[in-house]
Amino acid sequence: MKSVVLEQLSKTYFDPYRGSQVTAVRDLSLTIDEGDFVAVVGPSGCGKTTVLNMIAGFVPKTSGRILLSGTEVKGPGPDRGVVFQSFALFPWKTVRQNVAFGPKMRGVGKAERNRIADEYLAMAGLSHAADRYPSELSGGMQQRVGVVRALANNPDVLLMDEPFASVDAQTRMTLQEELTRIWEERRPTVVFITHDVAEAVFLANKVVVLAQGRLLAEVEVPLERPRSWDRLVQDETFKELSNRVLQLVRSA
Amino acid sequence: MTALQAFWGYYVRWSAKWPGAAALLSFLPLILLWAFIVWLEIFPRVFLPGPLEVLGKAWELLYKGILLDYLGDSVVRLSVGAAAGMALAIPLGILIGLNKRAYEVSWPVLLFFQAIGDIAWLPILLIWFGFGLTTMTFVIVYTVLFPVVLNTVLGIRSVKPELVRAAQSLGASRPRILFEVILPGALPNIITGLRNGLGYGWRALIAAEIIVGTSGIGFLMFDARRAGSVEEIVVGMIVLGLLWYIVDSWILAPVERATGQRWGLVTS
Repeated sequence: MKSVVLEQLSKTYFDPYRGSQVTAVRDLSLTIDEGDFVAVVGPSGCGKTTVLNMIAGFVPKTSGRILLSGTEVKGPGPDRGVVFQSFALFPWKTVRQNVAFGPKMRGVGKAERNRIADEYLAMAGLSHAADRYPSELSGGMQQRVGVVRALANNPDVLLMDEPFASVDAQTRMTLQEELTRIWEERRPTVVFITHDVAEAVFLANKVVVLAQGRLLAEVEVPLERPRSWDRLVQDETFKELSNRVLQLVRSA
Repeated sequence: MTALQAFWGYYVRWSAKWPGAAALLSFLPLILLWAFIVWLEIFPRVFLPGPLEVLGKAWELLYKGILLDYLGDSVVRLSVGAAAGMALAIPLGILIGLNKRAYEVSWPVLLFFQAIGDIAWLPILLIWFGFGLTTMTFVIVYTVLFPVVLNTVLGIRSVKPELVRAAQSLGASRPRILFEVILPGALPNIITGLRNGLGYGWRALIAAEIIVGTSGIGFLMFDARRAGSVEEIVVGMIVLGLLWYIVDSWILAPVERATGQRWGLVTS
C-alpha cells in the first residue's frame, strides 16, 4: 500500500471557446495515509474528477506535486487501479478476460491469470458470469466487474470516480456495503470521488470537501466498522456528519 | 386459421433451416411480375426475354464453360484488388486515426479523392496504363482503399478514451493498447468499411471490364450487346446480384455477428 500526498497541486487549462484560462484545481494540498479511505465530495465543476485524473496520471498537472509514498507520479501506472463511472469494461473481452487483463499485462501465464480472475470473481459473487460479455450484464454487475478488475491487479491505491453513480439505488447500497467489506479485508488506500454526501460519509474515514478547485474542509468520520445501511440510517452520528458535510457542500 | 398457422410455423422453421432458400423465395413475386409483363407482349421478345429463356441462356453459358470462366476472372480480380486495397488501407487508417495532426491534415484530402469515384479515373488511367490488367487493378484498389481508410480512421477515433485509460492503469504498454483495445474497438467500423469497399469495388470492376476487359462478367455483358443477345446481358446482371448476396451473407454478415453484435457494440 502507498500513501498519496498532494502538494500545492494546481490545474489550469485554456478554454478556446471562452478564450481564457480556466482554473480547475487551485493550490490543493492533501495527505492520504497508507491504507486510508478518503472520499472527495463537492458540487459538479469543483474539480474533484480532475484531481483524480491527475493522481491517475491521465491528465498532466500544471504545478505542484503528486507523491505516491514519496515518489512523484509520471503518467498512468498499474500501482493505481482506477474504477470508472462508465465502468470502462472491454466489450470484446469476457468478464474473466476483463479481470485477467491486468495480470496478463504483467506477463502472468494464462492458467495462472485465469485462476486469479476466477478467485476475484468468486469474491464478488460473479462466478456464474465469467464467460459472458459485459453487455450481457446489468449495470450493477458490470461495476462489480470493474471493481474486481482493478483489485485483481493488486494496486497500492484504488482510485474510484463516482463508480456507483450510474447504478440503481438498491444495487448502489449493496455495492457500497461490499466495498467497505473488501476495504476492511485488504486495506488498500482508496480515493473515492462522489457527489453523494451520504455515500461519502458511509464509506470513508475522512471526507474532503472541494469547492471551486480549493480545499474547503476535511471531516473525520469516526463511525465504527463494519458499516451497514440498516444500522447507519438511524445512527445519530451518521446523520449529524452527513448534515455537516451537506451544509459545507451547499455553502460552496 | 389453424391450417394457416400450421403453414406459417412450417415456413418459419424451414426458413430458419435454409436461410438461402428463404432469401430466394423473396424474389418469387418479382420473377412472376417479370414473366407476366413478358406474357403481355408489350415489348418485343428480343428486347425483353422471359425468365425461362434467360435460364436457358444461363445453362448454355454454363455448359460452354464461359460463365464460370468469366465469373472466376472477375472474382479473382476483385479478390486481388480488394486484398491489396485492404493491406494498404487498414495500416494507413490506423496511422491516421492514431495521430491527431495526421487526421486533420489528411481528412479533407481523403474525402476529396473518395469523391472522384472509380470510373472517373478510367479516362486518365487508359492513357497511363492502356487497356489492361493494371488499369483494372488500379480502379479496384482505389475504390476499396478510401471507404476502408475512412471507416478505419472513424473507428479508431470513436474508441472510448476511458477504455484506453483503463488499459493504461492496468499496466498496458502502447503496443498492447493498440492490439487489445484500439483495434478491437475499431473493428466494427473496419468491417463496415470493408463491406462498402467491396460493394463499390465490385461495381467498379464491372465498369472497368466493360471498358477495358477481355474477359469477366462485365465483358460478357458488353460483348453480348454487340451480338444483340439481351438474354446474355440479363444473365450477367443476375449473376452480379447473386454473387454480392453470397459474399455479403456468407462472409461479411457472419463476421459482423461474431464481433460487433456479440460484444453489444452494434445492435443487430
